[in-house]
Amino acid sequence: MIKLFLIAARNLKRSWFRTIFTIAGAAVALIAFIMLRTVLWSWNAVSEYAAQDRLATRHKVTMIMPLPKRYAEDIRAVPGVKQVAFMNWFGAKIPTAPDEFFASLAVESNTFFDVWDEMVVSPEDKARWLADKKGAIVGHVLAKKMGWKVGDKIVLEGTIYPGDWEFNISGIYKASRKSVDDSEFIFHWDYLNDSAPAEMKDQIGFISIRVTDTSRSAEIAQAIDRMFDERDVQTATMSERAMNLSFMAGFSALLTALDVVSIIILGIMLLILGNTIAMGVRERTKEYAVLRAIGFEPWHVRFFVIAEAAALGILSGAVGVGIAYPFVNHFVGRAIEENMGAMFPYFRVEPTTAALAFVIALGLAAVASLLPSIQAGRVSVTDALRRVG
Amino acid sequence: MTPSDLDAPPDAGKAEATAPEQNRKSAAPPKGKPIIELVNVTKTYVRGKEPLTVLDGLNLTIEEGAFEALMGPSGSGKSTLLNLIAGLDRPTSGKAVVAGNDIGSMSDGALAKFRARHIGFIFQSYNLMPVLTAVENVELPLLLTKLPAAERRKRAQTALRVVGLEDRMDHYPRQLSGGQEQRVAIARAIVTDPTILVCDEPTGDLDRKSADDILALLTKLNTDFKKTILMVTHDPAAAERATITRHLNKGKLE
Ligand SMILES: Nc1ncnc2c1ncn2[C@@H]1O[C@H](COP(=O)(O)OP(=O)(O)OP(=O)(O)O)[C@@H](O)[C@H]1O
Ligand SMILES: [Mg+2]
Repeated sequence: MIKLFLIAARNLKRSWFRTIFTIAGAAVALIAFIMLRTVLWSWNAVSEYAAQDRLATRHKVTMIMPLPKRYAEDIRAVPGVKQVAFMNWFGAKIPTAPDEFFASLAVESNTFFDVWDEMVVSPEDKARWLADKKGAIVGHVLAKKMGWKVGDKIVLEGTIYPGDWEFNISGIYKASRKSVDDSEFIFHWDYLNDSAPAEMKDQIGFISIRVTDTSRSAEIAQAIDRMFDERDVQTATMSERAMNLSFMAGFSALLTALDVVSIIILGIMLLILGNTIAMGVRERTKEYAVLRAIGFEPWHVRFFVIAEAAALGILSGAVGVGIAYPFVNHFVGRAIEENMGAMFPYFRVEPTTAALAFVIALGLAAVASLLPSIQAGRVSVTDALRRVG
Repeated sequence: MTPSDLDAPPDAGKAEATAPEQNRKSAAPPKGKPIIELVNVTKTYVRGKEPLTVLDGLNLTIEEGAFEALMGPSGSGKSTLLNLIAGLDRPTSGKAVVAGNDIGSMSDGALAKFRARHIGFIFQSYNLMPVLTAVENVELPLLLTKLPAAERRKRAQTALRVVGLEDRMDHYPRQLSGGQEQRVAIARAIVTDPTILVCDEPTGDLDRKSADDILALLTKLNTDFKKTILMVTHDPAAAERATITRHLNKGKLE
């Protein structure tokens, strides 16, 4: 059996040119497939990996309307709430690199890194930050890209809060969770509030809440919203995952499209493989007839065809995955994480995606060989032998 | 023929081999039990609306150990007859018994096993697998047996030695001459020790010298290894080698 497989696989050597082109074509399709699956996977990862025990409270009507600052204190008193940190979107541009997009947040200094404990900061950096009103903690990806080091003085241009803002880099954080962006810019809410125009003072964008018991998240969220029902500003509280999902829902058409395209790519791959296999079978008809004459049975011949196809599939899969894996994880993925970190904080080919792609390459080759193998098994021995003499 | 037979010098101390050969070149056919018996065999192809009778009420008996040549004009049904005897095809009517098997009544699977067990094929165009070396080509039919790999390889090498290609074992078909390719094909045909060798114009693609070598080899397989050989040929010189030459014309033996 193994012997037959190896003999069948050797047929791939017959037409090197065709074999190489087929493998290249199938591998390119596989690489495209892997990239699309990784986009979909990374997108989902943001909510998949979102903290289960964290809630966010925002204005009931829309994300961009502010809440009164004292709401944070009210929420702190709700039973089951472990820690609370309020924050504002800042919106910043780097004057020397105006196209650089990154999230900037003015946060409640004392509690922020407790609520967001997956943003890991060293104790020294944190102490330095707390002691400096203009201090900022920066994601390691952003810091590396901009060449910022601890102690640097920088100036950002505010977009929501106009003007030039001075900061000192106090420290660097690194995310310990795949859903967290490594390119954020975090600084003191007090600094923002003190310098903000009068009409923007004492207002907060949203409140992050850590609960003691994950299973009670929904209940606590309801309790919070009920508390503010009768007040002048109502709130909407939901889990981080629900928030991410509601954000993603807006892109569902796009995601479906990507899904469909990835299936179409597999269809193209099937055609590439099928074409080569069918061509090979047509050329080898007489050899199959000779095998039959010698005493091999139709199932041997079918096995022969499928084995050759499987060898082609294995090679295509190995080449496709072998290229896509390092290519995405070392080049594309890094570039995407650096430039689109807010959307794809973690863009890497998962081992499961790679394994799936490999299995698909093998499976498609087998499927593509099904019809040719049946044909080859049915060849009339006498007719095939008479054809050339 | 078993590997040990092949290993030993063919006529060393062997009763059959040392016994006086029945005057091979004489008119008298060799005495032996019939190995092939065709009774009133008809083969009709239906192409379109008109049926074409290729073999027409044929009777034929071939004895064990015979070396027979089959001649006749193109389209007279020689290959059809050969394929029938080899179990590649079934008669439309009549009875064909080969090595004790009634070809007409056997299933496809049974015919495949019959071919593997009893028939060695030698084709005009050699039909070797181009991706396999000489020894691998010869080994191919043994993949159907339960023999261990080492034994398979040993038998394939022995068969190649019989055809005089011991120094070409690892050559690919494209690295061999036509005559050498045909000898590899003969080694492949005999490696399973079949009862009958069927050859459809085995020298058709060869020059005179190579053709003579192949015919000498077939004669050796017949005399020394007692193979029954049935050979279709257009070449009168080839037919000379056979003990009996039959002529087929328009589906009838004359
Ligand atoms: N499968 C088939 N269907 C229809 N006709 C066939 C088939 N096989 C053979 N024939 C016809 O049967 C006749 C005999 O063919 P066959 O191949 O036996 O001739 P042949 O004597 O071997 O000729 P050649 O010397 O050219 O090889 C031919 O007319 C051929 O066209
Ligand atoms: Mg013929």
